[in-house]
Formats: sequence, C-alpha cells, structure tokens
Amino acid sequence: MKNNKRLVLTVLAVVVIGLLMLFDGQFELSSDGAGNHDDTSVGVGNQEPASDISLVTQVRKCAKLYTAEYRVHKIVTHDDVLRLKGSVLQRQFNIKLPLGDRRIAIPIDAKLKAWIDFSQFSEKNIERHGDRITIILPDPQVTLTSSKIDQKNVRQHVALARANFSDAELANYLEQGRAAIIQSIPEMGIIETAQANAAKVLVPMLTEMGYDENQVTVAFRKQQYSLGDIQTLLKIDD
Amino acid sequence: MKTFKIAIVLFCLSLVIVAFFWLRSCTKDDYVELGTDDKIDPTPTQIQSIKAIGEWEFLSVNVEELADTVRKGFFSDDELMRIYYGTLRLGVNMHNVEPGWFVAEDDSVSLTLPAIGLLDREFIDEARTKPFFESGSWKPEEREALYQKAHQNMLLHGLTKENLAAAEENAREQIGNMMKAMGYKRVGISFKSSSVNSKP
Repeated sequence: MKNNKRLVLTVLAVVVIGLLMLFDGQFELSSDGAGNHDDTSVGVGNQEPASDISLVTQVRKCAKLYTAEYRVHKIVTHDDVLRLKGSVLQRQFNIKLPLGDRRIAIPIDAKLKAWIDFSQFSEKNIERHGDRITIILPDPQVTLTSSKIDQKNVRQHVALARANFSDAELANYLEQGRAAIIQSIPEMGIIETAQANAAKVLVPMLTEMGYDENQVTVAFRKQQYSLGDIQTLLKIDD
Repeated sequence: MKTFKIAIVLFCLSLVIVAFFWLRSCTKDDYVELGTDDKIDPTPTQIQSIKAIGEWEFLSVNVEELADTVRKGFFSDDELMRIYYGTLRLGVNMHNVEPGWFVAEDDSVSLTLPAIGLLDREFIDEARTKPFFESGSWKPEEREALYQKAHQNMLLHGLTKENLAAAEENAREQIGNMMKAMGYKRVGISFKSSSVNSKP
C-alpha cells in the first residue's frame, strides 16, 4: 500500500515538473513569435527592461575629405565538423564523427571610405605658375566606416548532437570575416578612385574662385601605390 | 639445471624490460582529442558599388554601447549582452551645397555651407561586436533588434548639440585656414541651418 502511494506521488511530481517545463518553453516560443525583443518597448512578450550602458570613448576634431565609398559584401561560411584526432603508436588519425556537423553562412555588408587629410593644409600645398594653380595633396587613406550583418539571410544547420552556435563563436567568425575584408582592400583600387574623385570636389570650388578648369591641377605625392604602401594607408579601428 | 632456469627467468625479464621501453618510446607522442576547426572558409569579397562622395568630416565621435536584452522564462531568464562599437562622423556633405554657396571678391570670400550633421547613418562596425554574456538561445531577428537598440542609443549619446556645435566650430577654423592658405584675407563662413538639430 505504502509502495503504491509512493509511486503515485512520484508520477504526480514528474507530471507537474513536466508541465512546468512545457510552460517555460511555451513562454519562450511566444516571445519569439512576437519577433520583438526590444527592451525599450512596453508590454511586448515577456521581457523586462534592461539597462544599457553608452560610453563616448573619444571625440576628435579633424578635417577629412571623404571622396570614395565602396560597398562590399562577403558571405562568411564555417563548416564545423566534429573530429576525433590523434596519434597512436606513431600513426596519425583524423576521423570525422557522424551526427556532429554544424554549418553557418553569415552575409556581411561593409562600407569602406577613402579620405584625404586636410588638417595640415597650408600654402606649402599650393603652387602657382602664372594663371595655373596646382594643389598638392597628401596620400588618401582608407577606413572601414561600418559593417552590418544581414540577419534575415543568416543560414545555419546544427546536427542533433550539437549545441547551437554561441554568441562568442559567431563573434569569432565575424572577426575573421572582417579581417578578410580588410586584407582584400589593397586589391580594390580604392586609393586610385579617391584620387580621381578628389578633383571632382576641389575643381568646382577652384572654378568658383575664378580659375578655369584647365588651369587647375590636383596632384598627389604618388600615382601608383604598392601593396606595402597601401597597407600603411589603412586606418582601421581594432 | 638450476642455472638454466635462472637464465630463462633473466631472459624473460630482460624481454619484458625491453618491451616496456619500446612501447614507451612508441607511445611517447600519442594523444587523442575531440575537436573542431574554428577557421572560416575562404570566400570572395565582392564590391557591390563604388560611389564618388564629397563629405567633409570635422568631428568624429567614438561610442561603445553595452546593449542587453532579457527574455523571461518560468524557471530562469535568458539574457544576451553584447558590446557594439561605432563612430559617428559629423560634418558637411558637399553634394548638398546650393548655387551661390561660394562668393569671392578681391581678397574676401564668403561661404554658405549645408548644416552640420551626421554624414552617414550606418556607423556601427557590427563585425567588431564583442560578446559579453549569453544565456539561452537567440535568433537572428533578436540580434537585429538588439543592434537597432544600440544604434538608437549611440545616436542619442553621440549626436548631441554640444558635439554638433564643436563640429561647426572646427569646420569654421579648418575651412578658414584653408581659404587663408589659398590667399584670401577675409573669410566669412555660415551654415545653412543656424539652429543645430541634434535629434537622431
């Protein structure tokens, strides 16, 4: 009789715990369904306001003329296969384990801009020969001004035996993707485009000053840059 | 007979010792590990568009935003915290100048520039985002919502009246210096909108 009571109580306890867990899952599903987890919104799903911290780390005065903008796109992919690796009796082995695959594709859009620094501009940058004027400018520099993950088009496959991709893993893949974009900048020709576009901004200003277009020359220290030169002209925040 | 037995035992013992040292030397570098490769696959970087722009930047504001979102559960809450990095660039877009913006007469020049503002609304480097804390599983749309929230907060803290005024002051100084280098002695600079608008 006592044993029966114990059994009933155990079954009841299991059922109650199961129901509670089910409700917990449903709450999560309902909030996902709302598709809005903005803590600033009121009465959406089951969220509570969270405190955010904003910190202005640097305010810098400058005089940069941005003349070229490149929009680039990259799909960062990662094939995460679980492998058993090792060496036994001096024999190497590397075995792919079944049911351990995870794959992800993350599209990134980045914006690169090239600029010319005018903060040191002085009479030394101007040469006049009769009616003709030559403006000598410093080398253009390149920066990555923004990057954005196309979250709508992120695709992933996670095998049953594996956990979902964590935020830290995603950040690691994105960091590598960003580094790959930066590495490909020297092949894009952005410095040359920036030089050509500088004239499009400065020549109209000089014609307003009374110069004829044919009398104005916008010159740079160099016309051709080696890969090594371009590396020194990249100003990317770490 | 006794000597023979001792010799056999010694021989067997030496065999065992040799086998032990041989096995030890063979398995010296042995290891077994379960692991994955963290490197991304090599994929091309495509240029989608090239644009000629004329944006003068006079103030750059670097902002870090620790943004988080909480999803309430029955037993425990899920939380996602990330640190976003962005640079707000304040200045004037030369493509917005109006006819007659530049008036020069003898050694005087008068410039009427567009209002100082945010040069580009895309200023967050999302690929540089640092994970801070994560519990539970989060979907891409939830990460997008968090990004939008960080974007709004950065605008709120970076695009202030003070920063716009500082950018305008620096613009006057830098353009003034440039015009003086060009040979003008008297330089007048005004901005299209006199009231600074800091609303994001």
